Amino acid sequence: MITYASVTKTFGKGINTVTALDNVSFTIPKGEVVVFLGPSGCGKTTTLRLTNKLETLTRGTITIEDQNIMDLDVVQLRQRLGYVIQAIGLFPNKTIAENIAVVPKLLRWDKERISKRVDELLQMTNLDPELYRDRYPAELSGGQQQRVGVARGLAADPKILLMDEPFGAIDPINREEIQDEFLKLQAKLKKTVAFVSHDIHEAIKMGDRIAIFEEGCLVQYDTPEMILTQPKNKFVSDFVGADRALKVLGLMRVSDIINRKPKNIIQGATRSQEALNFLKTKESRYGIVLEKNKSIGFVTQKSLKYEEGPVRDVVEPNPLLLREKTPLRDVLSSMLMYDTATICVVDGDKNFAGTVTYNDIQKAVKASYADETENVKIEVIS
Amino acid sequence: MSTLRFIVDNFQEVMYLTWEHIWIVGIALLIATPIGVVLGIVITKHEQFASRVLNGANILMTIPSLALFGLMLPILAIINMGLGKVPAVIALVLYSQLPIIRNTYTAIKNVPPALVDAGRGMGMSKWKLLRELEIPLAIPVIIAGLRTAAVMNIGVAAIATYIGAGGLGVYIQQGIARVYPEMILSGAILVSLLAIIVDGGMALLERMVTPEGIKVQRKLSR
Repeated sequence: MITYASVTKTFGKGINTVTALDNVSFTIPKGEVVVFLGPSGCGKTTTLRLTNKLETLTRGTITIEDQNIMDLDVVQLRQRLGYVIQAIGLFPNKTIAENIAVVPKLLRWDKERISKRVDELLQMTNLDPELYRDRYPAELSGGQQQRVGVARGLAADPKILLMDEPFGAIDPINREEIQDEFLKLQAKLKKTVAFVSHDIHEAIKMGDRIAIFEEGCLVQYDTPEMILTQPKNKFVSDFVGADRALKVLGLMRVSDIINRKPKNIIQGATRSQEALNFLKTKESRYGIVLEKNKSIGFVTQKSLKYEEGPVRDVVEPNPLLLREKTPLRDVLSSMLMYDTATICVVDGDKNFAGTVTYNDIQKAVKASYADETENVKIEVIS
Repeated sequence: MSTLRFIVDNFQEVMYLTWEHIWIVGIALLIATPIGVVLGIVITKHEQFASRVLNGANILMTIPSLALFGLMLPILAIINMGLGKVPAVIALVLYSQLPIIRNTYTAIKNVPPALVDAGRGMGMSKWKLLRELEIPLAIPVIIAGLRTAAVMNIGVAAIATYIGAGGLGVYIQQGIARVYPEMILSGAILVSLLAIIVDGGMALLERMVTPEGIKVQRKLSR
C-alpha cells in the first residue's frame, strides 16, 4: 500500500517557482495496479519519482506500508521498490543476467541464488534463459529488452513496483503482447503497482484504478469504468475521448450481461409446427435450438412455416459462439459483421450457457451512463 | 643510410636514451592519470567547478613548453631541483591534465541520464553507479584521453633535454649544436617512431577495455 497525503512538489526558488504537484492525496491499495495518467507535464512522473525519492518532497507525506519514506534510508527504500523504466534503462555493458541481477547483487545474495532467480525470471517473462542469459541488451529487440526491464524490476521480489511508461518505447503490436503478459504475471504475483502512462487505452487495460492528473492536480481517481462513464469534468471526458462508450464496452464482458435463461429455447427434436406455435406464444421471431445442451443453431418463424419434420432439419448454424470472458466490444463487432442481433454463449465444454443480444448491450451501456444522461447537454461531435 | 649506421654504432646509448625517454613519459603519465581522472569525475558531480577546472587545464596547455621549464626553474631551484628529470616530469604531468580531465568529464557526462536514473532508482549508491555503469561506459574515451596525453608528452619530453632531463631529445639538441645531421635525424626518427608505437599500443588498449556489450552495440548499430 502506498499513501500520498497532501503531496506537494515545487521546483525552483522565488519568482521562478514552478508547482509540479499541488496537494495531491490518494492511496494505492495493496495488490492493485494504479495508472497515473495525464498529458506530459501533468505531474504523473513527478509523483512516481517522489515515491522512491528520486525527487524530494516539498510538502506532504508519502507512506509505504505505514512507513513514512522520509524515515527510510534512501538506498534501502529503492531496493525495496522494483523500478522499471523505458527500454533504454538496461545497462549496455552488462549481460541480460547481470542486468537482472543488479538489485539482488546490491542485496548481497549469493551467486547460486542469483543465477537461479535470473533463470526463473527469464522464464516468467517468456525469454529462454539458455538463449538470452549471456546476451547483451543491444542484441535484443525492443520488446525483449522491455521484458528484461520488467524482470529486473521484479528481481528481488519487491512488494511494490514503480513503472515509468514501461511499455512506451515499443511498437503497438508488441506492446499489446507485453501488456497481456504483464497482466497475466500480475494476476499471479499481486504486486502493488504504480504505473505511469500517457495512453488512455493502456490505462484502461492495465489499471485497477486510474489517477488522472492535470497541471499538478489530481483531477479524478477512480476505476476505469467510473472514469469512462462518469468523468468528473471536461478535461477528463476530453482526455478519455469521444468514443468512451466503445471503451466502456471494451471493459465489460459477456458475463456481465448474459441472459442465462432465454425464453425462446427449442429442443432439436421438437416438431416444426409445435415450435412455430411456441415462438408465437412467446412473441419471439426466432428460437435457439439446443440438442443435448449444445447449441446447434437457430430457427425463425419464417423458416418453420412450411416445415413438418423436427426443427433440427431446418436449423441454421450459429455464425459464431461466445465465451463468457469475451469483451462486449468484440461481441458488438461480431454482431455488425455477421448481421445478427443474438449470439449464443458457451462454457468450457461447449455447453450452452446463455445468449447475448444487441438490446442487452445497448441497455448495459445506457445503464452505465445513467447518472450522466439526466443532466445531459447536447454535445456536438465534430 | 648513414643515420642507420649511427644508430647501429651507438646502439647501447640509443637504447639507454630511449629507455630514459619512456621512463620520463611513463612516470609522468602514472602520476597524471589518477589526478586527471579523479578531477574529471569530481567535476561531473560538482558542476560548479567544472568550467574553472577545465579552463585551468586549458591555460596550462597553452604555455609553451620551454616557457614552462623556464617558469618552473626558479621555483624548483629553491629545493635544488631546477634542472633534470623532476621539472620535466612535473611539466608533463601538468600538460597531461587537459586531455585526461576533459575526456573523463565528457565521457561520464555522456552516459545517458536515463541509465543513471535507472541505477539510482534501483538503489545503487553513487560509488556503485560509478563503478558498474559510468566508468565502464566512459573508459574507452578516458583511455583515448590518455593516448593523446602520452603522444603529446613524448614530443614535449624531447624538448626537456634542454633542462637536462635526458631522453632522445639529447640527440636532437646535441646534433644541432654539433651540426651533426645523422645525430639529429636519429633522435628525430626515434622520437617519432616511439610516438607512433605508443599511439598504436594505446589504441589497442582502448579496444581492449571497451566493454563487450558496447562493442556488440556498436557493431549492430552500424
